[in-house]
Amino acid sequence: MVDGTTPSPIGSDQAPTSTPSSAQWEGLLFGREYVEVRFGGSGGQGVILMGVILATAATLDHHRVVQTESYGPEARGGYSRSDVIISSEPVDYPELERAHLLVALSQLAASQYIGTLRNDGIFIYDLEKVVEPPVFKGITFAIPFTEMALEETGRTQTTNILALGAVTSITGLVSVESLRKAVTGRVPAGTEEINNRALIRGLGIDPAEWQNGGARAYGLPVDR
Amino acid sequence: MALEIEQFLRTDRLPHIWCPGCGLGIITGAFLRAILDLGLTRENTVVVSGIGCSSRAAGYLNLNTVHTIHGRALPVATGIKMARPDFTVIVLTGDGDGAAIGGNHLIHSCRRNIDLTCILFNNQIYGMTGGQFSPTMDPGGNATTAPYGQLEPSFDLCRLAEAAGATFVARGTAAGVRQIEKIIKQGVQHPGFAFIEAVVPCPTEYGRRNKPAKAVDMLEEERKRSISVSKAAKLSPEELEGKIVTGVLFQDVERREFQSTYAETVARVKDAELARRLAEGAGE
Amino acid sequence: MESWHGHLLKERVDQSSLLIQGNRACVLGALDAGVRFYAGYPITPSSEIMEAMAVELPRIGGVFVQMEDEIASICACIGASLTGEVAMTATSGPGFSLMQEALGYAIMVQAPLVVVDVMRSGPSTGRPTAPSQADVMQARWGTHGDHPAIVLAASNVADMYRLTMAAVRFALRFRTPVTLLADQVVGQMRESFSEELLGRYRLTSGDFDFTPGYLHPDLAREVHLPHVLGSGEYPHVTGLFHDETGFPTNDPEKTDKFLRELYNKVAHHRDELCLYDVKNEGRGRVCIVAYGSCARSARAAWRLADQEGLSVEVLHLYTLFPLPVEIVQKVARRVEFMIIPELNLGQYAHEVRKMAEQWTTVIGIGKTDGTLITPREILDRIAELVGKYESV
Repeated sequence: MVDGTTPSPIGSDQAPTSTPSSAQWEGLLFGREYVEVRFGGSGGQGVILMGVILATAATLDHHRVVQTESYGPEARGGYSRSDVIISSEPVDYPELERAHLLVALSQLAASQYIGTLRNDGIFIYDLEKVVEPPVFKGITFAIPFTEMALEETGRTQTTNILALGAVTSITGLVSVESLRKAVTGRVPAGTEEINNRALIRGLGIDPAEWQNGGARAYGLPVDR
Repeated sequence: MALEIEQFLRTDRLPHIWCPGCGLGIITGAFLRAILDLGLTRENTVVVSGIGCSSRAAGYLNLNTVHTIHGRALPVATGIKMARPDFTVIVLTGDGDGAAIGGNHLIHSCRRNIDLTCILFNNQIYGMTGGQFSPTMDPGGNATTAPYGQLEPSFDLCRLAEAAGATFVARGTAAGVRQIEKIIKQGVQHPGFAFIEAVVPCPTEYGRRNKPAKAVDMLEEERKRSISVSKAAKLSPEELEGKIVTGVLFQDVERREFQSTYAETVARVKDAELARRLAEGAGE
Repeated sequence: MESWHGHLLKERVDQSSLLIQGNRACVLGALDAGVRFYAGYPITPSSEIMEAMAVELPRIGGVFVQMEDEIASICACIGASLTGEVAMTATSGPGFSLMQEALGYAIMVQAPLVVVDVMRSGPSTGRPTAPSQADVMQARWGTHGDHPAIVLAASNVADMYRLTMAAVRFALRFRTPVTLLADQVVGQMRESFSEELLGRYRLTSGDFDFTPGYLHPDLAREVHLPHVLGSGEYPHVTGLFHDETGFPTNDPEKTDKFLRELYNKVAHHRDELCLYDVKNEGRGRVCIVAYGSCARSARAAWRLADQEGLSVEVLHLYTLFPLPVEIVQKVARRVEFMIIPELNLGQYAHEVRKMAEQWTTVIGIGKTDGTLITPREILDRIAELVGKYESV
């Protein structure tokens, strides 16, 4: 395009040679040149931080990134969302037009933002928080992030980082190395270790296990 | 003495705008004698005022003078003091400027306990705009905007300042000029926020609607009503009714002053920064 | 990149990457330009500026004070400015309204300072967390009286850095307050911050040296009375009309002369003050004139139009006031339509109309629902005007 920059497809800079669960798996969004992501939840869940960390990791991967956020006046409990555009070209218009990926950590976010997702997009949500998942015909992952976080670290506050690990495992949007750096750099001081544990657990999920109803659809126990 | 005082006056700006019998000139004179006595240098002395009769004093003083907007002398002075801690910064304000529109800044300056001296000229009335009541007017007083008598209670500004955290609180009157001169000296020397209420007569706007009416009578009334802190301590509240308690009402030299606390913090933060860099350097 | 901000980004703001928030980039720009005094009052969506200042200024020996309100904040900045400090404050619409009287005082006493207004939608409390460009006219005419105004508008994170520097430079050179307008999106967004981004958004006529610590004190020739407290000159500073001595005057001739000089010291330097960027110069029947986050929509619309075989020119304004008369009129002479997308009901479109309607048709696209104008919305309006398929 105009600036004569060399496009670098998403994930390509430092793509993991393998994911923990599959040698072939590179991620559903790996290699794209332009991806719009929306994280939604309620205030206090760390949704904005999820966007910031993903954006930081993508920047470390040498992509052009814009992260915006929108939240209600309340610090706790109100709506909260964080949008990230990852591109091989500098980004002009900073808002999402049709998201490629929606990550919802609350019922309200799922119901409210499903409309912004493309028909061929990816919808990932917290299995326990989104009790009535909205109708969506694309690829869906329902994962009990909160429960997993509680089990792994004893703290529900690490849910966002765990989810981010899972999102990366599913999509391949950023390299694992950059994501780990971004998490360490962005989480509150003193929580690096516990968040890293959550991250590793998230990265370690097997996407196939949770796709389109996943474990629950097959009557399996909710976690492995 | 008179000649020495002249170095602090912009004589080319005189005569002043104040009316015959006004108390502002008396206090301004006391202020000049006080800073002369203290040996303040003109270079490092800044006078900040707001809007109103009292605030016009700044224009006559041959110092660094800042005539600001209505009610905002204290925050401007705060900016000056924080940027130049070596300056002696004195705020001249009135009961309208300092206690009405600028009331919020007054209480926060007290709370911050920043090393400023605030001399508030209290004549209970808006003189410059033609005799409207101020928040220090006694109930029942008459003003153009209180044609049926003042309905609202008045502020006791010294009690307000003390409660808000000022560490030097004093009151004087135009009738007790030696006393207020001494008070101003103490206030300027005090390391913290010094609040000084100077009770002054306004015969033109207050006197014409209230009693006593004449300047001399007003001064005489002030003198009669004045009672020193030590004498007041021996009287009951009933006996103190209608009295003007003068002198240093409150002083606390222990409480931390804002600017110096800030400077200490900066030194501490910079030290920590240096230590961190050294440690990083050693680690490499 | 290392040359002018790399070390600051790494050391002081963001250990992990060069992804930085607009409000924080503003702080970097301010510190690099020599701002060492900040007094403010927190207000969404500008508070990150204040919070970063609270961390950074003590570390470099500067002064940070949280005041009791916005009036006190700007007044403290004026006080510091009068001692020769480079002072700054930041706020949003309601706080900016409170500052207006003191802003007029700063203009009158020629005290340089920078005010950053991260706009929210209004009037009143409005929507604190939604973007808006509703303070354009407040930035120009918010304080009473005829007065000069320098108003810049940031459209991205890089702008927040370099336009803050430009604001400091203009404030010192013209000895007047300078307002930098941003909005919730630009202030709170995080963006990869690179030289590439700066190159992409050029500042035409802005010959800046972005070196940390630079000051630009050479005064415009119209400025008089750059008094500094403690200089030994014993200045008298007053918001009353004053003559060349600094003391009040009621002389009609002197009053008029003073006001005209005050006004003209900015108006006469439009060539230096008006920063802009023209894209797709001289091609197309339509020019989108845009500023702030809408300039991003405009650029995206231009690219989208390009893909659809429609040629559109973009005039991206970084300086809103003084009015960029010359460039607007130059472009107006060659296009049939000027489209001004803005997040208000047409505040700047009126200004463009005044400048350009002699030569072209000026059409505003106003949006006030708290969302950005999309490139498609702009393009649809253009297509309506010129007939999309006709021009292919």
